[in-house]
Amino acid sequence: MPFPHTSLLLAFASFVAAPTWAQSTSPQNTPPNGGDFSNNLQPVTKVPSGVILVKGAWSSASDSVTPVPEGGSVANNIFSNPYFGMSYPLPQDWVEKYKGPPPSDSGRYVLLQLSPAETFKGSARGTILVTAEDLFFTPIPARSAEELVNYSKDNLQADYKLEMSPAHTTIGERTFTFFAYWSPVAELHWYVLATDIRCHAVEIVMTSRDTKLLSSLVLDLNRMRLPAEAGSTPSDAGTPVCIKDYARDENMVARTDPVFTEHRFNPVPVRIIVDKEGKVKHIHFLSAFPDQAKAITDALAQWRFKPYKRDGQLREVETGIMFGRAAHRPRSQTVSATVE
Amino acid sequence: MRNAKIAFVFLFAALIVVGQVLAQTDPGVQSGSRGTGATIINPANDPNGFTAFFNDGLNRFQEVETVSNSANTGLGPRFNSNQCSSCHAQPAVGGSGAAVNPQFEFTSNGVAPGSTTPYFVTANGPTLEARFPFFFNSNGTANTSSPNGGVEDLFTVTGRSDAGSCSLPQPSFAAAQAANNIIFRIPTPTFGAGLIENLDESTLLLNQANNLNNNLGIAGTFNHNGNDSTISRFGWKAQNKSLHIFAGEAYNVEMGISNELFPQDRPLPGEDGNGNSGLTGLPSNCLNLSGTGYPEDTSNPKSTPNAAVLDDVSAFANFMRFLAPPPTGSVVLNGQQVSASTITAGSQLFSSIGCATCHNPSPGTTQVSNFVPALSGVPVPAFSDIEIHFMGTGLADNVSQGGAGGDQFRTAPLWGLGQRIFLLHDGRTTNLITAIQDHASHGSEASIVEENFFNLNSTQQQEVLDFLRSL
Repeated sequence: MPFPHTSLLLAFASFVAAPTWAQSTSPQNTPPNGGDFSNNLQPVTKVPSGVILVKGAWSSASDSVTPVPEGGSVANNIFSNPYFGMSYPLPQDWVEKYKGPPPSDSGRYVLLQLSPAETFKGSARGTILVTAEDLFFTPIPARSAEELVNYSKDNLQADYKLEMSPAHTTIGERTFTFFAYWSPVAELHWYVLATDIRCHAVEIVMTSRDTKLLSSLVLDLNRMRLPAEAGSTPSDAGTPVCIKDYARDENMVARTDPVFTEHRFNPVPVRIIVDKEGKVKHIHFLSAFPDQAKAITDALAQWRFKPYKRDGQLREVETGIMFGRAAHRPRSQTVSATVE
Repeated sequence: MRNAKIAFVFLFAALIVVGQVLAQTDPGVQSGSRGTGATIINPANDPNGFTAFFNDGLNRFQEVETVSNSANTGLGPRFNSNQCSSCHAQPAVGGSGAAVNPQFEFTSNGVAPGSTTPYFVTANGPTLEARFPFFFNSNGTANTSSPNGGVEDLFTVTGRSDAGSCSLPQPSFAAAQAANNIIFRIPTPTFGAGLIENLDESTLLLNQANNLNNNLGIAGTFNHNGNDSTISRFGWKAQNKSLHIFAGEAYNVEMGISNELFPQDRPLPGEDGNGNSGLTGLPSNCLNLSGTGYPEDTSNPKSTPNAAVLDDVSAFANFMRFLAPPPTGSVVLNGQQVSASTITAGSQLFSSIGCATCHNPSPGTTQVSNFVPALSGVPVPAFSDIEIHFMGTGLADNVSQGGAGGDQFRTAPLWGLGQRIFLLHDGRTTNLITAIQDHASHGSEASIVEENFFNLNSTQQQEVLDFLRSL
């Protein structure tokens, strides 16, 4: 009777083998490679650390040649920003430890952040912060650096006390508005110097417990090179004229709205330079997702402005357009004026 | 000569002692009971009877879910835990991760018998979820042109007696580590969440506008809900609009339980075919494991009392909504109680050096609530502006959620910080000083403020730390 015996044996063997097969064919043991799964414990390349590869709304420009406000850098201990025509030899024993964040969707740039180097010998440390407030987009009710400083002074938080009311001073042959405040609790002092450069309020903010250090840093600013003040020399005829809200119907010949493919709800501040013929020659997105930048670029290629003349001369115009929702204003005041 | 040597040694020893006294110290997790975890509802002023909903939600928040064959089914097929309160535990139900990580036992206590404990899950480490910022190529490298960022659940139901024949692979966390393609998140505490949910949109916008007047290089923005464009506010990147969404997503993503907001079982981000994985979703023998059909969590029309009619997600939302803000409390440092004046000084310093620009002590007063009077017209001491900020390369996780990019994070509310163990979005540290240091890096909005903190003298820094542990 071999058959029944063999059948039993086979059945038993199958019973025993089934769990083994289930294990061996289990996806647990054979995960696919790709997507979420990888078996490679020695990949050829690794994701670089300390690099932001997945960006949200970010700055970009239509070309890499035209300077943009955030395009400054430190080389050989000199901070240079071609857009603002700024050259700032760093104070001795101060370094750029960290670069600032990208431009904000409200028009704020951190151009430079400085900290004392390891070699710094002072009794108290401090910081130097150079920012630019885009006067096309700022929600703060200010049309100039001076108004921005005055706004700051008028809206100082309760933590701070005014140390010096805003006053004009000259640095590097340029007029700055200078004011100072301090925190009695933290014993920290803030020295703020602001000036208008090309549609922006550029602010230099110095912070330390040591007012002597701050005074020396202010004096040191005289080594800074800045462009001549608007209208003071013929040279500024080569730079675009800054006009807030220039993209109005009365200045335009043709205009097409961008077609967005995704619903997003972020402010998209866009700074453009219009050439002498009325075409958009440069686009700078302060903050936009790539698909937004693409849609806006496509639309702006079709825009035509009336050529702009000043003193009988055709001039390029730099202006700003806010696509999407604009940031809230802190006050009900509105500002609409030419900024130059 | 000998005397000179002795004097030198004595002086050296004295300097070491003085140095230790002067060096600032994180007072650490404050162990005294502060009453955290109570409801905000005053039972004497609860005209609509929501106290019952809070209590019901509290109970359901602690229920252990199974795959099938119990009163609480639907777990898996992938999950990070089987109980809301196992992750939201510290210092009370609803909080963040506890000192003992329950995930460490899952492979040995029957919760996930067929899984392997991922290398980063440790007995006393943070309770974690993992994400792969990028999909893998077939050769095992991360494809940085193919962002992933979805949650990679740590465990599967494989091997459970209530999971039938479902057998799923875990993502290869070791390979992800080898490719430097893995990031972590810890649970966000939910105390006071109902107050944040009930902040009016215009209040937040006005705060943002007023905050722009700072000389610190800070300028945040908001994440928005894709459906109605309003400000979203929950989660590490403020990616969730409401507590309902927050609960529904967590139920589905963290526990694998489909619900009325997220009605399908969730495959991994690449398991559904994304990232050129070639996969087509969960296998059929891993679907409908509860045997109830979908969604696994539904309303219960025939149940009594009233609260029982709700689906779990609604109950969870109510529980979180009605959790009171974590009370502040006294601080013990090195066995000594810190004085109230020190806490006050620390609070003032916190604001003066700029921390409060983002960690807004009170971003506003709530709008009128249709739930309970306790949620109406009350200040929200959240220490957050609910904005998202660029936090730079040091904290960046290369995960985008909604409008938030790879280095943008919601200002973490600091209420309850005094009793939080693991800090920052990935629980990388338990030390406040390290957490403050990590606010500064290339591209961070907080670098200047971080420097302001370290430019304070040691006493002042200590006052700030003491203050933070009073929250």
